[in-house]
Amino acid sequence: MARIPAGIAIGAALVAAFAFRAESYTLFVIALIGLNVVVMVGLNILFGLTGQVSLGHVGFYAIGAYVSGVLALKGVNFFAALPLAILVTGALGALLALPALRVSGPYLAMVTIAFAFIVEHGLIEWRDVTGGANGLIGILAPSLGGFSFAEREMALLSTAAAALSLLGFWLLSRSSLGASMRAVRDSEVAAQSIGLNPVSVKALAFAFSAALTGMAGAIFAPLLSFISPGSFPFFQSILFLFGVVLGGAGSLFGPVLGAAVVVWLPEMLSDFAEYRLLIFGLLLLGVLWLAPDGVVGLFARFRRPVARPVRVPETDQQAQLDTQLRPSRALPLRVDNIGIAFGGVIAAANVTFQAIPGAVTSLIGPNGAGKSTVLNIISGFYAPDTGTIRLGEGDDLAGAAAYRVARSGVARTYQTTQLFGSLSVMDNVRLGGADADSAEALLAFVGYAGGWTVRANDLPHVDRRLVEIARALATRPRVLLLDEPAAGLMRADKDALGRLLRRIADLGIAVILVEHDMTMVMGISDHIVVLDAGKPIAAGTPSQVRDNPAVIAAYLGGAQSRARGRSAPLKGPRDAVLSALRLTAGYGAAPVLTDVELEVCPGELVALLGANGAGKSTAMKALSGLLRPVSGDIVLKNVQVAHLPTHRIAHLGLALVPEGRQVFPELTVRDNILLGATARPDRPSAETLQKELDALLARFPRLIDRIASRAGLLSGGEQQMLAIARGLMAKPDILLLDEPSLGLAPAMIAETFDVLVELRDAGVTILLVDQLATLALTVADRGYVLESGRVVKHGTAAELSGDADLEAAYLGAKAAR
Amino acid sequence: MLIVSAIVSGLSLGAMYGLIALGYHVTYAVSSTVNFSQGSAVMLGAVLLYTLWITLGWPLGPAVAATLVLAALFGLVVERLLVRPFAVRGSNAWLMATVAGGIILDNAAMFLFGKEPRSLPSSLATSPIHVFGAGIYPLQLIIPVVGVAMAVGLQILLNRTTRGKRLLAVVQNPTAARLMGIDVTRTIAVSFAASAVLAAVAGMLIAPLFSVSSDMGLVFGIKAFAVAILGGIGSALGVMAAGFVYGLVEALVTSLLGSSYTQILVFSAVIVALALLPNGLFGRAAVKKV
Amino acid sequence: MAKPTSIPQARNQVGATAPVRSFARRVAAATLGAALLMAAPLRAEDTIKVGLVAALSGQSAKSGEAVTRGLEVAIGEINAAGGVLGKKIELVRRDDESNPAKGVLAARELVQKEKVVAFFGGIDTPVSLAIVPFANQAKVPFISVWAAGTGITRNGAAENYVFRVSAVDQLVDGAMLDYAIKKYKTAKPGLMLINNPWGESNEKGLKDASEAHKLTLAGAEKFDNADVDMVPQLTRLKDAGADTIFLVANVQPAAQVVKSLDRMGWNVPVVSHWGPAGGRFTELGGPSAEKVDMVQTFSFSGKLSPKGEAVLAALKSKYPQISSLADVTPAVGIANAYDAMHMVALAIAKAGTTDGPAVRKGFYDIGSYDGLIKRYNKPFSPENQDALGKDDYIFTHFQGAEIVPVN
Repeated sequence: MARIPAGIAIGAALVAAFAFRAESYTLFVIALIGLNVVVMVGLNILFGLTGQVSLGHVGFYAIGAYVSGVLALKGVNFFAALPLAILVTGALGALLALPALRVSGPYLAMVTIAFAFIVEHGLIEWRDVTGGANGLIGILAPSLGGFSFAEREMALLSTAAAALSLLGFWLLSRSSLGASMRAVRDSEVAAQSIGLNPVSVKALAFAFSAALTGMAGAIFAPLLSFISPGSFPFFQSILFLFGVVLGGAGSLFGPVLGAAVVVWLPEMLSDFAEYRLLIFGLLLLGVLWLAPDGVVGLFARFRRPVARPVRVPETDQQAQLDTQLRPSRALPLRVDNIGIAFGGVIAAANVTFQAIPGAVTSLIGPNGAGKSTVLNIISGFYAPDTGTIRLGEGDDLAGAAAYRVARSGVARTYQTTQLFGSLSVMDNVRLGGADADSAEALLAFVGYAGGWTVRANDLPHVDRRLVEIARALATRPRVLLLDEPAAGLMRADKDALGRLLRRIADLGIAVILVEHDMTMVMGISDHIVVLDAGKPIAAGTPSQVRDNPAVIAAYLGGAQSRARGRSAPLKGPRDAVLSALRLTAGYGAAPVLTDVELEVCPGELVALLGANGAGKSTAMKALSGLLRPVSGDIVLKNVQVAHLPTHRIAHLGLALVPEGRQVFPELTVRDNILLGATARPDRPSAETLQKELDALLARFPRLIDRIASRAGLLSGGEQQMLAIARGLMAKPDILLLDEPSLGLAPAMIAETFDVLVELRDAGVTILLVDQLATLALTVADRGYVLESGRVVKHGTAAELSGDADLEAAYLGAKAAR
Repeated sequence: MLIVSAIVSGLSLGAMYGLIALGYHVTYAVSSTVNFSQGSAVMLGAVLLYTLWITLGWPLGPAVAATLVLAALFGLVVERLLVRPFAVRGSNAWLMATVAGGIILDNAAMFLFGKEPRSLPSSLATSPIHVFGAGIYPLQLIIPVVGVAMAVGLQILLNRTTRGKRLLAVVQNPTAARLMGIDVTRTIAVSFAASAVLAAVAGMLIAPLFSVSSDMGLVFGIKAFAVAILGGIGSALGVMAAGFVYGLVEALVTSLLGSSYTQILVFSAVIVALALLPNGLFGRAAVKKV
Repeated sequence: MAKPTSIPQARNQVGATAPVRSFARRVAAATLGAALLMAAPLRAEDTIKVGLVAALSGQSAKSGEAVTRGLEVAIGEINAAGGVLGKKIELVRRDDESNPAKGVLAARELVQKEKVVAFFGGIDTPVSLAIVPFANQAKVPFISVWAAGTGITRNGAAENYVFRVSAVDQLVDGAMLDYAIKKYKTAKPGLMLINNPWGESNEKGLKDASEAHKLTLAGAEKFDNADVDMVPQLTRLKDAGADTIFLVANVQPAAQVVKSLDRMGWNVPVVSHWGPAGGRFTELGGPSAEKVDMVQTFSFSGKLSPKGEAVLAALKSKYPQISSLADVTPAVGIANAYDAMHMVALAIAKAGTTDGPAVRKGFYDIGSYDGLIKRYNKPFSPENQDALGKDDYIFTHFQGAEIVPVN
């Protein structure tokens, strides 16, 4: 890897050699390019590595220049002034970071813009020191031992500064600090859970960035020998950022290209005189159109990652890893009586349990039961209203910052994996705190078999899970929290994952698992805590919990529902309203749905069943157009819609009541429902709509009282009613319902299904996805069972109801243990 | 008398900042992008009105109407060429693209309109009336009224009309809006048109008090961006209120302390305000999700 | 008098001179022209190049345009009369965007790449100040035709290559104060200054001049180019007892000052630097703008000398956009540039070579030149590199769209 410093040195030497032959204008341009490289490298630390936008860097440039200029006029040697300029700007950078870190996006942009304007006006007003608007005149060139620098030496100095800053950037980006910066940029949440403090990382990035920019400014002053506030226009900040983006954010040599373009291009256009800015603006735009992610991004599209063969770690290395991972002193995690409420809604209450080292403790319960909330409290993302969390007899961790919890030995993974997407697999694990060798061993340990240099974003789903676990293990945790690690995995992968978690526990780590896959939970858990509506309803060994009637009710539902099948069998036309043919769809490389075939006929209620992660919601998204592109065909009333966007499909007569209700929170209930009529081809008049609304409300008496209140204030059950009413307002040819029972209290679930029965009996065509399979089959005419993205079974509701395999898909086969 | 004059002046300028900032607000709400060519749309409003009304001699009504239509067109072009190509691929290069767009428009206007400022005559800004001893142009009183009226109008348009509610639906939940059959892409384009129209109205209103020139938009654009941010870029009435606050603070600082430190103090206040209230004076914090 | 003639096709004159109406065609022509010329460099030996570094875009674009026009008319006359040293003169222009750093870069490029014999500076004092050390070091004459900052010509260099055909702030400020004391019996001046380098330079000059007259200031207030309301600043001056306003600002903000005075109903004498003359002051400021007394070095209004008539005619035929006197603005920029160009030609002719040091000496050898602003007699000497002095300032005011001397 010494090729890169050598490359920088050779590049700098070539520029220097050229400088010895160039005349003074060219030297001046070289010097300016060099300084721009330094600034852009600095901005690259902030923007490229840390992901923060600054539109005020010209302020730091100006401050560096004025520190150097003022001191030079007072007779201080340039080489004494330079470090001071760097220090001052670095300190100011850290200072600006304080407000800047509390804000993000456009707010951050505004803070930096305001900073630049304050600097500009400050320079004008602090006249005694800065010379005011007319600036500082006659700044002498640097001298070294009586030798005064001319243009050539200034060009060499700038080139050296550029080379040094490139080298510094290279070192930084390879260092753990550089990796931390990228980590914070990719995922602040994950960064905290491996013990990084995002605030200090970002503040450091600001300080480095400002210091480099100040250094460039300090050289700029004697180069120009004259500086005034007008030398540092606001537009220059945009150009700095443009240079970084053009070169490719985060890339080492990007700033060289960026600086060359930002300095040279205007010079090339100087003959255009008054038309220069206009043409420059057009060229800027053209460049952005051609390469919105920079030139590096342009090349990256054609470059494929080199996959390296995986070395199988030696056995003794594996044994070494075991001793490394085994916590020196095993401590139980004691969660005592924690509770939290969000805006009056209780998400968790009186949760108490103990996670013993060497054991797997599982938290289960229906969606919305508060399992993830409990994990978020333990890992420090939520501060609980009540209760304590202790490791052994240690300090109370409740309410501590996430990175502090992580440092005390509590690692975790996330429901949606939180990897540092732009970093390699290896870097992800190393950031957890492992050196290269143990990172390799860890990846082998978790069963990861892919390349180490692959970017995490390019990983298939199962590998993301594994790498995330490896990264968590790299922090040498005493406690490992896993949030639905098996979601979306295939059976074989789930089984392997189960074995892995068991092995981790056997090392003496306390494993806390939140999971829906009952085969896995029942198979590996030592202790299970069941939550419902934020409260523990049962706890014990797997066999105790499995036979607990309250648990079965919470999972299978059905017991107290008034839902019923059709009184008379459906007799209708058999030409499908909606059908899917070889439907294949997914989010990344691996498809979530493969060759799915299903059809729904007029008046039918069809249930789509399957375990979590089987692809039910993906199917709903693909059918409704939210997920594009898909392959295969989707036919809605004889129209091919697989290529159409969502709103067109809606206009063709398909209404989806999405998972999580998705009401418009700030609009009234009435407005929400009326918006449902947007896609109606008949364009009903206001009176018609009002009549229809009244008729509809008769079906949803709960909504009548709430008609004028904001939808966001409704309870979950009311929101579900609202979402269904909104869908019906479209008078759809087919209504798709995605998880209508999700997160609802049992009584509300029953009510929701009553509504479904009424709709079915009124002749509405429905495709239903719900995790409460028994209940869904009670009301359905037919059903399809999805597993790992494929239809594995279909038939009438009656055929499917008594099916033992279906129960296995949800609760895990009782015979498994 | 000084205070009265400062307040009137602060209110009229504040209303104008508020109008321009409302434009930032509308586009940010629906597309999460900030349109940095907004200042140029202010200039466009003034320059087009001058060109159509004074240079080409159109009657005032059609000239205003045509200006608004052309400004809306400009907004559509900005969205289509400077924002959408980048936003759809998740790149934030729209930031530099909209800055470049502003530069191009300003410079093009410089050649087409001319390099010197011109005066847009208005009987409302010729002879002052006297209120509590302070001389005030009637227009200065009209601008805040128009500003508030437009903010309220926008609010009514959004909350009382079907189209407005569709726009709100897109803001609050784009996915669900798609499911309702709302064309989100088109809604975003329309919001850019509306944003440019708001800026153009501000430009036309301020022109008689100020003057018309190709570079008049830059400063207004930046100050209005500060207003939009202070108002909490997600809240329409907050933005208008922040406009008045900003205008008043600016005018009062100038009156009481002299103008030398106005910009330093006002921009420092912006930083302090954001440090204390990271979502703006009237913004709401988003719920943190893990 | 020479009629404007067609100018040899020069690489940067496409936009400025070609009478192409359509903007798009102008850009296309400029692009095409530059592309062609980049491929095949012009026969540079046939012409003597002079440069211009000025604000051609942005807020001060109008000033750059005026200077360009003055220079081009003069060059047209010189070339029609056979050029200098048997060669035609060619103007190469660069936009400095009012940014000193860009100005220095442009100056270096003009001298070292384009090999200009001499070059002119525009409106911005900081840009010119930034160029001064380079001009002296490169030994190429640099002529300021607008920027009035005192230090530009009085830069302390042993061999000074910087000349000026323009006002000098320090002298203007003295003249303004003398005038106000004489005409308005000013005892307590209030300063209204634009918040830019020019305003700052005059703040110092006016304060020094007041001190010399033992007057205390009522105050010095600033405003920005984009400020709409100057009532707060003016009220503060009024409350402090100001009896005369000294105004330093360009036409647009100056008009805002006049309007603010109107709104306040404060009828106070206003003595102004030459800024308002740079545009349609009465259009922007209303009838009260006529009451403002301004310093001028030149105006095309009123009865012109034969030379003035000729230059005006040349301007009108060369630039069809000029239809009335209100379009010939700012007159000082045009006139200064016009006279400066002729004197550069004279200096080169005196030197007999285009060698920098010789041309510098040539400036000192100029005897008399009958210029547009006045008849110059030994305009330059190593002790005084300013061609215009205190006696060359006249006080004028607007009458409608025209500028007439104060009676």
